[in-house]
Amino acid sequence: MFSDRLLSIFEMMAARERSGTERGLLCAVATEITGVSAAAIALCADDLPLTRFCASDAMARSLMDLEMTVGEGPCSESLGGDVMVNQVDLESTSSARWIFYTPQALALGARATFAFPVRIGVIRLGVLCLYSETPGELSDEQMTDALLMASVVGRGIVALQAGARPESLSQELQNEATFDFSVHQAAGMVAVQAAISISNALIALRMHAFSTTRSLSNVAARVINRTLRFDFTRQEWIEETQ
Amino acid sequence: MARESLLVATLVELADNLVDNYDVIDILTLLSDRCVETVDVAAAGVMLALPGGDLQFVASSNESMRVLELFQIQANEGPCVDCYADGVPIINHELLDPDERWPRFTPLAIEQGFRSVHCLPMRLRGRTIGALNLFRTDVGLLTPEDVVVAQGLADVATIAILQHQLSMSAQLLNNQLSFALNSRIIIEQAKGMISQSTNCSMDEAFARLRTHARNHNLRLTDVATSIVGGQIGISTLDAPRGTATT
Repeated sequence: MFSDRLLSIFEMMAARERSGTERGLLCAVATEITGVSAAAIALCADDLPLTRFCASDAMARSLMDLEMTVGEGPCSESLGGDVMVNQVDLESTSSARWIFYTPQALALGARATFAFPVRIGVIRLGVLCLYSETPGELSDEQMTDALLMASVVGRGIVALQAGARPESLSQELQNEATFDFSVHQAAGMVAVQAAISISNALIALRMHAFSTTRSLSNVAARVINRTLRFDFTRQEWIEETQ
Repeated sequence: MARESLLVATLVELADNLVDNYDVIDILTLLSDRCVETVDVAAAGVMLALPGGDLQFVASSNESMRVLELFQIQANEGPCVDCYADGVPIINHELLDPDERWPRFTPLAIEQGFRSVHCLPMRLRGRTIGALNLFRTDVGLLTPEDVVVAQGLADVATIAILQHQLSMSAQLLNNQLSFALNSRIIIEQAKGMISQSTNCSMDEAFARLRTHARNHNLRLTDVATSIVGGQIGISTLDAPRGTATT
């Protein structure tokens, strides 16, 4: 019976491989097999911050972005404790622990969220996050499919990276992903502007995104195109009007 | 709560083990059966390439000794060998004796009652790992739709096998992945710092990083790490190529 479910996952992957569709095949298949509204995958390597690997649609992308901005939510919790996270209703009090994440996630259209560690044996690779627009638990079948999918995702990521030179991300992995490295470029710029460390620059970017209710990638984009900068003498963010 | 976490941990473990140890033969046999059910063929089987490039029979819709023999003989010659070597399908090949191309395979296949043979490469993103072999008892042609379905099944088999093979080298690959991801992030941070300090574009910042690394025979990641850590001042970076050093 499990072989059957696995086979269904492989069939969906093959169908998408064949039609040579857009990036984010693994997220698309995760959504399709579990029948939820959207899915996203984040990677976590050792001490790295949450890095988005792919998202099935704009909502999933925004939700993952939100989590990177506020630093809390289902993925962070799953990664932190190496546990599965079941938040069956974001409007219930049980989601109050994510005081920044929850209201904005609801505003983005999510009502329930589930996170599954992506691992191969004891090796942690990242997290698979499912989002649903309606409240409620996953059925037993959906749960089984999600767990299988999380395992398949781990192997998929490792497969894509296989054969790459030690220091570089393989072209296949990059073709498959919608990585957003702009935040790190912006952090480099802000570190120089404010004469602070990179990690403090990342925190400053996140705080600014949060306090202006913009996404982290939006703030990063404006730093990079030089319409936003941190003024060292005034110790504040300056919007450049062009 | 504690009980729930334990349950969840067990479930995750279970799914992991399942994918780690799933029976690849079981899945491939299932696929071979599906070929016979959905495509107009009498027998189907999967052959995989061994590390040296020789083909090894792994699964078939028909486990009779006589059919298995047909796959086994293809370690040396036959449609699978050619299909795997060339990476292109062999469709509607009529079996006629004597056969110069496959002198041992063809008479044996005819003896088993087969009249035509078809073979589809198992490929994923440019990599061929084996071949799906189909046999028919009459000469009639496979329709283009049949071929599409069969190739689809071959693609599924390919993914199943690639997923299965990976568990062995996962630790190594994951270390490499973490390292590569980390390198990439540090390079982006260094680009941002250079871009801000020298008021240049991200492309130019990267070119400066690379020029400096090459000139000093250093690795790109090491230069980026030193910039981010403050051990290399941005003003001491070599000028990009084509620009006079001041």
